[in-house]
Amino acid sequence: MTNEKQPITTNSVVPFPSTAIAAEANAPESPTDKADNLPEPEGRDRFPATAGGQPNIHPDLDTGATPKMRADHVEVFYGEKQALKGVSIEIHEDKVTAFIGPSGCGKSTFLRCLNRMNDTIVGARVTGTITLDGQDITAPQMDVVQLRARVGMVFQKPNPFPKSIYENVAYGPRIHGLASGKEELDAIVEKSLRRAGLWDEVKDRLTESGTALSGGQQQRLCIARAIAVDPEVILMDEPCSALDPIATAKIEELIHELRGRYAIAIVTHNMQQAARVSQRTAFFHLGELIEYGKTKEIFTNPREQRTQDYITGRYG
Amino acid sequence: MNKPASRWASEAMRKRIASRYASEKRFRALGLAAILISLGFLAFLLVSMTVRGIGGFSATFLTASDATDPELVGVWGALKGSFLTIIVTMALAFPVGVLAAVYLEEFASRNRFNDFIEVSINNLAAVPSIIFGLLGLSVFLNVLHLPRSAALVGGLTLALMTMPVIVIAGRNAIKAVPPSIRDAALGVGASRMQVVFHHVLPLALPGVLTGTIIGMARALGETAPLLMIGMRAFIASPPQGFTDPATVLPVQIFLWSDEVDRAFVEKTSAAIIVLLLFMLLMNGLAIYLRNRFEQRW
Repeated sequence: MTNEKQPITTNSVVPFPSTAIAAEANAPESPTDKADNLPEPEGRDRFPATAGGQPNIHPDLDTGATPKMRADHVEVFYGEKQALKGVSIEIHEDKVTAFIGPSGCGKSTFLRCLNRMNDTIVGARVTGTITLDGQDITAPQMDVVQLRARVGMVFQKPNPFPKSIYENVAYGPRIHGLASGKEELDAIVEKSLRRAGLWDEVKDRLTESGTALSGGQQQRLCIARAIAVDPEVILMDEPCSALDPIATAKIEELIHELRGRYAIAIVTHNMQQAARVSQRTAFFHLGELIEYGKTKEIFTNPREQRTQDYITGRYG
Repeated sequence: MNKPASRWASEAMRKRIASRYASEKRFRALGLAAILISLGFLAFLLVSMTVRGIGGFSATFLTASDATDPELVGVWGALKGSFLTIIVTMALAFPVGVLAAVYLEEFASRNRFNDFIEVSINNLAAVPSIIFGLLGLSVFLNVLHLPRSAALVGGLTLALMTMPVIVIAGRNAIKAVPPSIRDAALGVGASRMQVVFHHVLPLALPGVLTGTIIGMARALGETAPLLMIGMRAFIASPPQGFTDPATVLPVQIFLWSDEVDRAFVEKTSAAIIVLLLFMLLMNGLAIYLRNRFEQRW
């Protein structure tokens, strides 16, 4: 594991101004009016040009709404290799944002930037700015422990702790001191398991090992574990790739239920899944953000040839 | 192209299968022979020692210490010395070794300095034990002026020798903990300390304990370094504490095997049996502990 203390290098000397201020500066009129009335060509200008050309950010997209997270010109290097080339994107509170693209296109890398899990990879270097509620999370003084509590993560392979089901869920609240007593902790565990749709299946065997559950149940346990610390954003890195269709359907249903309570960003290889669960879709290719827009638009009326080709299965 | 049915039924194919079975059989025989050879030596040792040493056991032998008269010698003093020494070794080598392993594996960044440390530790594990004896002599006795031939100094010296073994075994055990567990803990906002002490270390503990068993067994049977720090003295009364003059079982065996009196042969064999039993007991305890801490996933 790398040294987390090593500061993340950012391009900006001055902390990036909060998005709210930036939006105000760009748009003198009331931002909500703008979103409702005219398809605003300025939408494009909100994002700086990337190394490999302009990403096609659909102009009518959430203009003016304050994003939960905002990435600005994020580049990631693994040693000499550049994995992400200037990605700028916004993630909104009440939406599920899907990242799609062929293998190795940088979508998982980008997802891991959002809670600085890339810090743990030897030789990974991140530049650019990522803000959470306007606060720069790439700043060296940002406390990563707190960040990861606020931005939870569900991984590709279900990875419950080899401890009891109860302990799996209770661990996060316990280390962050979110419960003041046994009853409160019990309540958090029950609430989290209920939200993850697992309570009825495990309520009589909370002391059993989390690893004894089936794959789909394990993944829902991991989701329960993530929501137990009451995060603001949940990142999901191909959460269904190791699951069968029934378990996948349950997770997708769960994502629908969690929407609104948490901002959700999901990486998926499965385009049908992206179409089913998300409201916003970002298409990545070779480390670049190619197109970002409403899921319906991306899938029915993509504006970029490469998006079109990927969605119709010409490559990927 | 042959049809599959005839291809699989052909003569060449039957020969191929037969040779495959034959080679498997040969390998089994070879493996069995390897095990029997080592077991045979162990059995020979146990039987010959028992035959020669069984007559040496008596109430006196189990309660007395060294003496000039072979009829009055006992193993109790040396046994107690061994016990005290191993406690000191354990108390020092285990925590230091585990902490070093955790630091190197989880916290140290990869750079020249840490590569150098890694190589040094691997080399340290291969240093002959007599050198550690000389080190103990010059540091603990000549510089720090700790009491000569005491269990404390013996334990310290053996701890220096055991530590690298524990570090290496500990690092391997820590490395074997799946990274997904670390990700999971980091993902809910655990600090690195919490990741290590709540998740990685408990999972690595069985492996760490195995390394510790090996290290301790080696320390328990060690003679040479203890000779250097004066634990070969004639000790006629069992040590009362860590700073009293003491000897240990292997050294006692070495001393008795050097005696001219024929009656000591029996006592030497009896002492070897006691040492083997002591080791068996310790290993049994360690394996029990290891199984208790083993977690499955």
